[in-house]
Amino acid sequence: MSKFLSSNLSRRTVLRGLGVSLALPWLEATSGLARASAVVADAPTRMAFIFVPNGVHLSQWTPNTEGYGFKLPFILEPLASVQDDILVVSGLTHDKGRANGDGPGDHARSASVFLTGAQPRKTDGENIRSGISVDQAAAKLIGHKTRFSSLELGTDPGRNAGGCDSGYSCAYSSNISWSSESTPVGKEVNPRLVFERLFAGGTTQDVDRGQQQRIGLQKSVLDYIAEDAKQLQKKLGRNDNRKIEEYLAGVREVERRVGLGVASRPLDVDGDYPVPDGIPKDYREHIRLMCDMMVLAFQTDSTRVSTMMFANAGDNKNYRAIGVPDGHHDLSHHREDPVKLEKISKINRFHVEQLSYLLGKMKSIREGERTLLDNSMICYGSAISDGNRHNNENLPIILAGSGGGTISTGRHVRYSTETPMCNLFMSMLDRMGAEVPFIGDSTGRLPKLSI
Amino acid sequence: MSDTSPACFCLPNHPPSFATVSPILKPVFFALAGILCLASDATAQISASPAAMDAAVKTLQTYCYDCHTGKEAEGGVRVDFLSKPDSLEDNIEVVEKILRVLAEQQMPPADAEQIAGADRVALSTWIEARLQDFDCGSVSRPGRVTMRRLNRTEYDNTIRDLTGLDLRLANDFPSDDVGNGFDNIGDVLTLPPILMEKYLASAQAVAEAVMANPQASSRVFPFAPGNPDDLSEALDVAQKNVGAFASRAFRRPVAPSELARLTELMRSAWEAGASKAESLQAAVTVILTSPHFIYRVEDDQASESIDGIRELNDYELASRLSYFLWSSMPDERLLQLAGAGELHTSQQLVAEARRMLADPKSQSLIDNFIGQWLQLRDLETLSPDPKQFPEFDQELRVSMRRETELLFRNILDENRSIIDLLNADYSFINQRLADHYGVEGIVGDEFQRVNLKGKRSGVLMHASVLLITSNPTRTSPVKRGKWVLENLLGEPPPPPPPNVPELNATGETLGTLRQQMEQHRADPNCAVCHTKMDALGFGLENFDVVGKWREVDGRDKIDPSGSLPGNRQFGSPVDLVQILAEDKKQEFCRCMTRKMLTYALGRGLGVQDRCTVNAIVSQMSEKNYQAATLVEAIVTSSPFTTQETGR
Repeated sequence: MSKFLSSNLSRRTVLRGLGVSLALPWLEATSGLARASAVVADAPTRMAFIFVPNGVHLSQWTPNTEGYGFKLPFILEPLASVQDDILVVSGLTHDKGRANGDGPGDHARSASVFLTGAQPRKTDGENIRSGISVDQAAAKLIGHKTRFSSLELGTDPGRNAGGCDSGYSCAYSSNISWSSESTPVGKEVNPRLVFERLFAGGTTQDVDRGQQQRIGLQKSVLDYIAEDAKQLQKKLGRNDNRKIEEYLAGVREVERRVGLGVASRPLDVDGDYPVPDGIPKDYREHIRLMCDMMVLAFQTDSTRVSTMMFANAGDNKNYRAIGVPDGHHDLSHHREDPVKLEKISKINRFHVEQLSYLLGKMKSIREGERTLLDNSMICYGSAISDGNRHNNENLPIILAGSGGGTISTGRHVRYSTETPMCNLFMSMLDRMGAEVPFIGDSTGRLPKLSI
Repeated sequence: MSDTSPACFCLPNHPPSFATVSPILKPVFFALAGILCLASDATAQISASPAAMDAAVKTLQTYCYDCHTGKEAEGGVRVDFLSKPDSLEDNIEVVEKILRVLAEQQMPPADAEQIAGADRVALSTWIEARLQDFDCGSVSRPGRVTMRRLNRTEYDNTIRDLTGLDLRLANDFPSDDVGNGFDNIGDVLTLPPILMEKYLASAQAVAEAVMANPQASSRVFPFAPGNPDDLSEALDVAQKNVGAFASRAFRRPVAPSELARLTELMRSAWEAGASKAESLQAAVTVILTSPHFIYRVEDDQASESIDGIRELNDYELASRLSYFLWSSMPDERLLQLAGAGELHTSQQLVAEARRMLADPKSQSLIDNFIGQWLQLRDLETLSPDPKQFPEFDQELRVSMRRETELLFRNILDENRSIIDLLNADYSFINQRLADHYGVEGIVGDEFQRVNLKGKRSGVLMHASVLLITSNPTRTSPVKRGKWVLENLLGEPPPPPPPNVPELNATGETLGTLRQQMEQHRADPNCAVCHTKMDALGFGLENFDVVGKWREVDGRDKIDPSGSLPGNRQFGSPVDLVQILAEDKKQEFCRCMTRKMLTYALGRGLGVQDRCTVNAIVSQMSEKNYQAATLVEAIVTSSPFTTQETGR
């Protein structure tokens, strides 16, 4: 058991030498490319959610016309090469991002509500509560089909001192994925670690004579600690028991992966991926590497569900590289000052450029007659509309990819005001084959996604 | 390129000239602490006067009674009991809630008539004053700490002390979320599946590293068989070794049933064809991923509880001490004292705390407590505008942090007054900082003690704190003022009231920042907080973003004068800090006590903790605010040594 889930430097070296050689598991039942048509039918649908903080400069974001053939506004211009693959969605609302009696803390709420649609409980420590997020709802239902039920990515670790926002624990500001109402799912910010997690010990290269024995040992380790936890559980109070529940959920997830064994039948795919060395200094480069990791995970069907925070809620980093030396959050309180608004538009556009990079990459990957992008739904946006007003209606949202041909992209659609954002999530979950009775404050499905 | 603002979040519709610089960070219980601090002993007597009572009751009647009386009270919250002279004891939870919604401006609701700022403060102060009379004897509730997972620092330190190998594996773990200002809060330290993966991988890596290193191996497995070929002796020894390791890893003696299971695991690994080393590795792996290692378990059944309160056993106390002062596991001496049942007396706890503070491992207290309380950890990611501040580099960044750490280290080592943090006229600087500060005669990288009398005093004039409280391109007086109120005085300003009109709705020119702020304060609702907050911040304007002395800001000459409540005038930053050190000793001491108690316990403080805090503060003032007294009072306090059971 020398390589029990551990990082695997020699494996990385091999990958670097050979170009990436990875398995496409849904091809498993077929025997080679001759049966490519079967592949198309079987290629799974994936979904991802990307969070950006502090709202956007809406008048530079929202297209002037609805339907097909809209002119891309300044912020969305970088999406020109994928305009036919996106849906600009206007009018959605996250009501539970509003104070609703809880006072200030819009930024913390904007992250915790983004995928949960649930009013976070205002607390700095005791009993943190949100709701199950849409990605985790999907992961629970379809996650067993892949090695990782979901993949949570970001670029900034959570703040490590002080407070984050107005009496809300930092857990609310630095996470968007919640696997239960009390468990935020921490994100990975180091691309090297994501890579190693995805591909260390997981492909046929690692199969050797000791494999079965190692798997046997891993199983007994997991059995042992699960038993420890269960015995301990009997002795503990309510809050402590919740901790053990989290522990056991973690054990089960690892157990499942061990049970799956290794992915079989590797297939050479485009090796155009640098094996990351760590966190790049350059923010743009960092985001792009994390995007690469998401694409790799989707391409190899290591997971079908992912989230990514381009930055944490209320983030105040500067964007000197694009000529904006001020803090983002500071700027977002622009008071309609045209100089500040221009800077905000530049930041918004910078983020959209990175989205465009991700979408371009996904579009370049063929899956039978479609592309990876066609087979995906990438939901990008912010749960605050305008950073100055902190309002939660008419959110800036883009849905990219056609969900396996079920969404008519290339349009700008507008929904009536106060339409829950969670209705979009319901429609997305349906397309993932992960139907749930509701998510957050959803009231139904979103119409007009396909025409 | 990350410039995470220490705390800059705003209400919608709040005038952004204020909003952009106004950090409205306010952990719920610190809000309570804040109001606590408003009621210093002098004000308590004034506030408890009949006149104060009449005024407070009138405010309640005018703004609260419509909804919050009788059986039909909104949200089931009645406030009429406040107008009776009875003790507040029976309604203590409600009192806490009332104070919180008042402090956070949540009540009255935004669409109702608002309480004028001064009346709001008077009402809170009056309620607080009544809580001062609260009978601590009858409600001694130590609270309950939710089982704490080791955070990243604690994990690394614990592995280091267990094996002697400083592997720093937790660098690859996801970051620990912060609650109540610290990253060691049980309720907030969740365990997502990815972390379980990391624990498993990491345990495996530790096991391998131990087996590969003879020194570590003999530390982890101290027993060796006399005759290596004797299989039954080898098994005995393996069992003894694993038992010894598990006891240290679990920070208590391993139970016979646990040892039997560990032995069984090794035996089945052996039978499945694993080598002897691999079998031992398997045991190490399960021990280091067991919930008994990952969590600091305090088992309700471990000792008898009386009236729902249990005294922690000696092993639990050993861990509480070691994770508080060292961010790591108990050492051999603590475990021996626990084994002998000798740790739990106050005398012994104090003696051990002293010993532990003198140990180099107490650097963890500075890294983690001071690093988070004063937010020095933020220095890592701050990047002042390189065009304006080309002198700022990594060396200066590190030196800044070191200066503040060394001041605290010195206060601990010499058992000086914690008030020195506010107004020490000495500091510790190296040549780099000396150049930065314009101090002559300091040569080399070594930090030296220097007298800065009349130039700089206390942490407020450390470059570290001045940078932490600035924006990348400019200073922020409001941010600085708010930082002082929150972190040093425990009086966090409430968020701005709802529906403050836009300042520049008409687009008129507003003048300098100071003039804008003065205009802002013309509104009495804003003045309540801004008078104090702005005076503090503008009093520090002689220091630029990176903490360098300056006489002018752009073209404007800086006016560092101002006045604090009580008509206390100051003409320079050093004057300002001197006034704080004289007038606000108690508040500062209470604030630091609350922060350190939070850190020591790993939970936010509640209303039941006020008696503990009051007792510690009065002990401190008797002992001239000596730093050691604070630590000793905490480790002998009831929340630290006892636990409410069954919750």
